[in-house]
This record gives sequence, structure tokens and C-alpha cells, in this order.
Amino acid sequence: MTALFVDEYPAEARLVKATFLSAFIAFGIGALFGIIQALHRTDIFRFIESAEYYTVLTGHGIFLVIAFTIFFLVGLYQWAVTDSLERGPVDIRLSWLWYGLMSLGSLLAAIAILAGFLEQPPMVLGSELRANVLFTFYAPLQANPLYYIGLALFFVGTWLAGIDWFRTWWAWRDENPGERIPLRTFMVLTTMIMWFLGSIGVIVSVLVFILPWSLEITESLNPLLTRTLFWFFGHMVVYFWLLPAYLLWYTVLPKLSGGRLFSDPLARVVFILFVLLSTPVGIHHQYMDPGIAEGFKFIAMTNTMFLLLPSLLTAFTVVASMEHGARQRGGEGRFNWLRALPWRNPAFTGMALAGLIFAFGGFTGIVNAGMNINYLVHNALWIPGHIHAQVGTATALTLMAGSYWLVPQLTGNRLVGRQAALFQVVLWFVGIVFMTNSMFRAGLVGVPRRTAEPQYQGFDYDVGVGSMGELNAQLALGGTLLFISAMLFLVLMLLTVFNNDSEPIVDGTLPPALSGPEDSPQVLDNLRLWFGIAFVLVVLAYALPLAGIAAQSGLFGQDIQPFPVSSEAVMYLEFGLDYVGALVT
Amino acid sequence: MRIHQYEKLWIVGAMILIVGFIVTITYGSVGLGITMIGDEEETVAPDELNDDEQFGEPRVEQVGENEYAAYVVAQMFIFQPDPIEIPANNEITFHVTSRDVIHGFYVPGTNINAMAIPGQVAELTVEFDEPGEHGLICHEYCGSAHHTMEGLIVVQPEDEFDLTELSAETSDTVSSGEEVQLNATVENGELEPLETTVDAEIGGQTFQQNITVDGNSTQDVTFTVESTQLGVGEHDWTVTVDDYEETGSVEVVSNETNETEGGEES
Amino acid sequence: MHTSPAKLLILIALSLVILVEGRTVLAFFGINIPPFETALIGLVVIATLVIWAIRPLRGSPTKSE
Repeated sequence: MTALFVDEYPAEARLVKATFLSAFIAFGIGALFGIIQALHRTDIFRFIESAEYYTVLTGHGIFLVIAFTIFFLVGLYQWAVTDSLERGPVDIRLSWLWYGLMSLGSLLAAIAILAGFLEQPPMVLGSELRANVLFTFYAPLQANPLYYIGLALFFVGTWLAGIDWFRTWWAWRDENPGERIPLRTFMVLTTMIMWFLGSIGVIVSVLVFILPWSLEITESLNPLLTRTLFWFFGHMVVYFWLLPAYLLWYTVLPKLSGGRLFSDPLARVVFILFVLLSTPVGIHHQYMDPGIAEGFKFIAMTNTMFLLLPSLLTAFTVVASMEHGARQRGGEGRFNWLRALPWRNPAFTGMALAGLIFAFGGFTGIVNAGMNINYLVHNALWIPGHIHAQVGTATALTLMAGSYWLVPQLTGNRLVGRQAALFQVVLWFVGIVFMTNSMFRAGLVGVPRRTAEPQYQGFDYDVGVGSMGELNAQLALGGTLLFISAMLFLVLMLLTVFNNDSEPIVDGTLPPALSGPEDSPQVLDNLRLWFGIAFVLVVLAYALPLAGIAAQSGLFGQDIQPFPVSSEAVMYLEFGLDYVGALVT
Repeated sequence: MRIHQYEKLWIVGAMILIVGFIVTITYGSVGLGITMIGDEEETVAPDELNDDEQFGEPRVEQVGENEYAAYVVAQMFIFQPDPIEIPANNEITFHVTSRDVIHGFYVPGTNINAMAIPGQVAELTVEFDEPGEHGLICHEYCGSAHHTMEGLIVVQPEDEFDLTELSAETSDTVSSGEEVQLNATVENGELEPLETTVDAEIGGQTFQQNITVDGNSTQDVTFTVESTQLGVGEHDWTVTVDDYEETGSVEVVSNETNETEGGEES
Repeated sequence: MHTSPAKLLILIALSLVILVEGRTVLAFFGINIPPFETALIGLVVIATLVIWAIRPLRGSPTKSE
């Protein structure tokens, strides 16, 4: 049995454990917020004010899809680079620096968000400490500058992490000239190229427009421009969430299945396709926006449809690898090999079930991508259904399953509660099915997303089958199962970390692929080429729309006033406008 | 690069599927004529909406035979106008903007779905086949009372729908012996002439006049009554055109006292 | 046992999924199954699976996983 990661690379293991700790703390808070939302919006149990719901919702988004996913990603990728290159970073102080920046940044953002629960928030940097602006922080809604500063620092941390891993690879390359990039490192590097390219949009939006405007250095901004710059980033980020799961499915899941990865070259092709296509599709989040010509929306649509390809390729390769593993374990027959898979292993089962949900959720993504079909689902509850199937399961469940395999190797402790862990992943799977099924159905009858109270006065939803009450109950049930599952996961992780007098039963060896990198052309490893093409595609997709938006209303818009979201101020504003509105009509 | 036979088949299948999806969406655009909200509309200045020709007075107006325009302003936390009254079986083009933050413009149960972005105008053309009422909600988080932001779209049967406006007035007071003049103004917002009847009642006397108001214009009607026929005192009056009614009162004062007291107008 | 506890758990989970999604699919064809009946069907399916799994074996023991 090979040495455990923690024994071979103790310093790196310490770093990975730190990132996982941050990730799991964020996960716990985000999950708590989730159950509050599930019970509140369905009107089953409301113990906060509806105005506070939006603080909870902002937290749910940031803690889960920024903090949890990305802290886990950087930890997983640190493990992947170290283990596949068989060396640590060039200077581990840089590594701790990026972790420190990410931690500081997320802490500042978290403080700004959580201050939303205070009756009298303090004044910080010139305005009330609040960030009730949700994960997308669309201007003219304005949060406290601390929120934007926190996010900016977090992003700087992630960029440094990417640079750190490139440096490690360059050092390895000097000592191993002519060799193909090991697959896991290839995946890390391509993911980070994608991240660098795509995050430019939101970084520009925050640093050039939104942060100065929140500090009153500039007086206005162009809301459509900042929104478009966000979505320049906003689709790429979902692949940033997904690719760590893909890394696990491609490199670890075959081993868990008892076999080997079917094809290394195809895995590289898939990651390259994500580098090329993840960013130029962002406008598909803006199909309903005025100010963007239909032609650009059409291009975004076709690009998005082609993004199906890498995921479909993944489906084939992953299932083929599982089948290979099953047959190694003695499985036979056209379908009976499924029974030979290690379903008792929570790491395996979690990833397999996550992949199953992902396939289903992918088709709901096609609906979203379908330009004119999008009219039926934009900003309806259908969208969170899609979100929870994809990042909520394909990513989150795979990361939890991966933790069951990896954390023992990082701590040198055996996993506590293997059967409970299996129950946990299955419970998540069932909870997601209940919850997303309700969300998809409710969305189709017009129930909106991102609202504390989807119950309105002047009309009823035309529910068709069943009733609103039933849809609400199902959503709340699913959410409750998910919350229980999330807490169970955290408990098992905690117990494992303290399970000191034990040895893990997992081993970290990852067998080589059946079809290795030597079977693929060298050009696949030409990262500069892929970056160049990706850059050109982004320019083609975004130069004209962005120029058009800036030309229409100016880079800085026309006297766009900020709307700091303070409950009292807004209530007065609403009252005032109602009054004026009543006078006019 | 070695690609397994099944994988090649799979890739071909995947490409066919992808192209199939693109073709389907394209058919929706080109074949069914579902257009996307675009950038044809001029931008507006959100803090100067009150001076804007379209949005200064949010309203529905007729712009062609069987074509109407609805100028809608979304703001925290209402839609203007509310309700939005439109005729069935006619093309309605919504022009939607925001006075403050990004809002949504969404009619659950339909595919009417747009974003209201300050500075921008979203244009979308719809047609309702049947009369009825539809909720209009904001589906983009816009502040702490976002969940209360709803309006109403009232689709009226085509033959019952009109863009008629009525106003009427008299002097507050009239001296005994003078005439009381009840002025009614009927405005026809439609393009077609409006043939209708103006009914007036004042102090127990009734009047009626048939009028034809040309498209997009107004017509004044004046009813005259001798104040001596009414007598001294306050008299209520009512003017009715179709389903619209205006009321008020006029006070006839005797000639001995020249004081005028404020009467009431509607 | 006819199947390991792990596989039984997964079979139950998959049955619940088929039940929930299947009910939605049936709704598209106009066949409505009310919530109570759905829950009942779910319980029956789970009970069947459990009974099938734990009833006494006949003949040779199953392969251990």
C-alpha cells in the first residue's frame, strides 16, 4: 500500500485541510440558510421577517457557491497537483498567502452580509454595513463597500492559487522535459485558465465600476453594463464549480469502481472544450434583457448548445470507466454489471448518484439555453431547480463523496460511520429529487425565484396537477432531507478528524488510464494555444455587445443613483412612491 | 488518437442532438416568429422619466388598427399603470423601463417575461386570445419589499375595450338669472371615431346628446340650464358617457348677496 | 439477504425517484395521482423491496460483496 498523502506531503496536507475546514464551515452556514428559505417561502414556518429573507438568500448564495465550492476546489486542486506532479509548491508561503487572502476576503464579505440581521447596522466606509444584494449584486442595488472588497480579495486569492500551481508545473516541467502533463495537473491548469479568462468580467465590473461607485468616488454606473460583465463571469463560474467534480469523476471514480479511466485523451479534450466555450455563452443569462441585440443572443444560444458536447463526452467516458471497473470486479451481462459496482462505498455511490442527477439536470439546462423557450422559465423557480440539480448535487454531492475518500488520506484517520455516510449520500439524492421536482413544476406554472413570499393577492397560479400547497410541502420536505443530510455529513467529517487512533482503509493510488496520454496528440497540452483561441472567442462574443451597451448609455450610465438596501429607507421610499403613484393614476 | 468505436458513435449522436436543439430553437424564431427582446428601443434617463414622452405618463394607447402600445414603468414596489387594461385579440406592444433598480416584468402562466433595466426600454409584442385577468409580478429581487411588487393586466373583450376619457366641469357658483354651463369633454384615445351618447343630469333635468369623437381627439359638449329653473341652492350634476361618469355640483346664489362661497367641483 | 443493505438502500432511493418523477410524467398525460395515494404506493414499494431482500434464502448463499 502506498504511503498516505498526509505522510508523504504533510505540509501540503495541512494546507488542504485548512481549505476544507473553511469550505465545510461555509457549507454548514449555507445549509442552515437553505432550510430557513425552504420553510419561509413555502409559508410553512416563518420566524424571520420577509425583508430579512434576502439577507439569508445572499448568504446562501455566497457561502455555498463562492465559499464552499471554491475553498474545496483550491484544496482539491492543491492535492491533485501535489500528488500528480509528486512535489509540493515552489514556495509554500505563497500557498498560505492565497489561502489567507481567500479567508480574509470571504470573512469580510460574510461580515457585510450577516450585518443585514442587525437592527442598527454600523456605518463602515461611509455607508451602512449591509449586503442584501444577493450573489449577483446587480447594480443599482448597492452593498457596503466591504462586501465588494471582500469578494475582490477572495478573487485575488484564487488568482494567486492559479499562479502558484502554474509555477509548480513549470518547475516540474524543467525537471521532466518532454513529458506529458499528468492528467490531474492538466485539469487544474485548464480550469484555472478558464477562471482567469472568465473572471475578468466581474473583476472589471467590481473594481472599475461598482466599488468606486459604492465609495462615492464615481457618481454613476451603467446597470446593463455591470450586469453584462457579471454574466461574462457568471456562466464560466458554473464550470468552475463543475470541473472539480469532473476531476473526481475522471480520475477517482474509475478507481473506486474497481478499474481504470477509459480514455485520458478524451478527458483532456473535454477540459479544453470548457476552456474554449465556458465564457462566450454568458449572454444566455440575459435573454430577457433590453439593450442586447437578438443576434448576440442567438450566438450565445448556439455556443451554449455546443457546451453540451463536453458533458455528453464525460457521460460516456465516466460510464464506460465504471463499466470497466465493474467487469474487473466480476460483473457480467449487458446491464448486470451494474450490480457488481461497490455500492457500499459512500464515495462511489455519492459520485454515481451525483452523475445521474447531473444528466437529468443537464436537459433542464437545455431548456434554459433555448433562447425563446427561456421566456417560460427565466427567473421562475425552475431555475433554482436547475441550480440545485447541478451545483447543488453534481458538484456538492460529488465533493462530499470525494471527501469520504480524501479526508482519511489527509488526516491519517479512518472514516467514521461508513454506513451512515452511505445513508447520507442517498438521503441527499432523495432530498434533491423531491425538492427540484417541486421547483421545476412550480416554475412552469409561474412561481418566481428569489422571493420571500411567492404568494400574491391579485391572482392564483394555474397549478394544473396537484396544488400549490402540495408543491410547497414537497419543496419543504426535500429541503429538510437535504439539511439533515448536510448536517450528517459535517458530523461524520468532524468525527473522522478526531478519530485519531485509526488507519484509513482507502488507498490513494490512482491507476493509469486504459488509453493514456501517449495516445493523444501533443497539441492537447499546448495550453497557450487553447488560451489564445479561448481569448479570441470571448472577444468575438463580447466585444460588440459590450461596446454597444457602453455606446448606448455611456460607460458610467446616466446619473444612476445607488439603492442601498436598508429596510427603513426603502419602506419610506415605497410609501412615497405609492403615494405619488396614486396621485398620478 | 484512439477513439473507441462506441465513443465515435456517441459523439456523432451528441452532435446530432446538439444540432437538433439549435434547429428547434431557430424554428421557434424563424418559423413561429417568436422574437427576442432586443436593443431597438432608445435609451432613457431614469431620473427624467417624468419628462419622457412615453413614460412621463404610463398608459395604454392605440398606435394602429388592432395595435396598441403600453408604456409601463416598474419601480420599487409597484408597476405603473396599474391595472394595465388592454383589449383581447389585438397586438399589444409593451415598452417597459425602470425608474430605479433592475426589476422583472413577468406574467405567470404566459411567456410574457422581460427585464426592466433603468436606462433601457424592453419592447415585447404580445396578443391575448381571450379576455381575463392576469397577475403581473416582479421576478428580479429589487429590495426588501420585492415580494409585494405586483400589478394586474386586465384583458377586456375587444368590443368592450375603449380608450375613452371623460371630464366635466361647471363654475362653482352662478348668480341667479345667469346660465349654468355644464361642460363635458370626451377624449377618444382610439384611432377609430367614437360614436356615443353624452347623458347629463342636473337638478332633476336630464339632457342627452349624441356625438362622434374623431380618433385621437376630443370633443366638447356644453349643456345649458337657466339658473332660475334650478332655483337657489346647491345642485348636483352627473355626466355619463358609456361606462364613465363624472359628478359635481353647482351653487346658484341669489342676486342680493354677492358673496361667493366656494362651491364644489368634482 | 438477497441483496446487500447498501443495494437495498439504493433500490429504495431509486424507487422513490421513479415514483416522484413518474407521477409528474403521468400528469402530462392527464393521469393524476393524489399525494396520499402516491405516498401509499411508495410505502408499498418500499415494503415489497424490504421483504424481498430479507426473506429467507433458498439454496446456495449469495456471493458476498
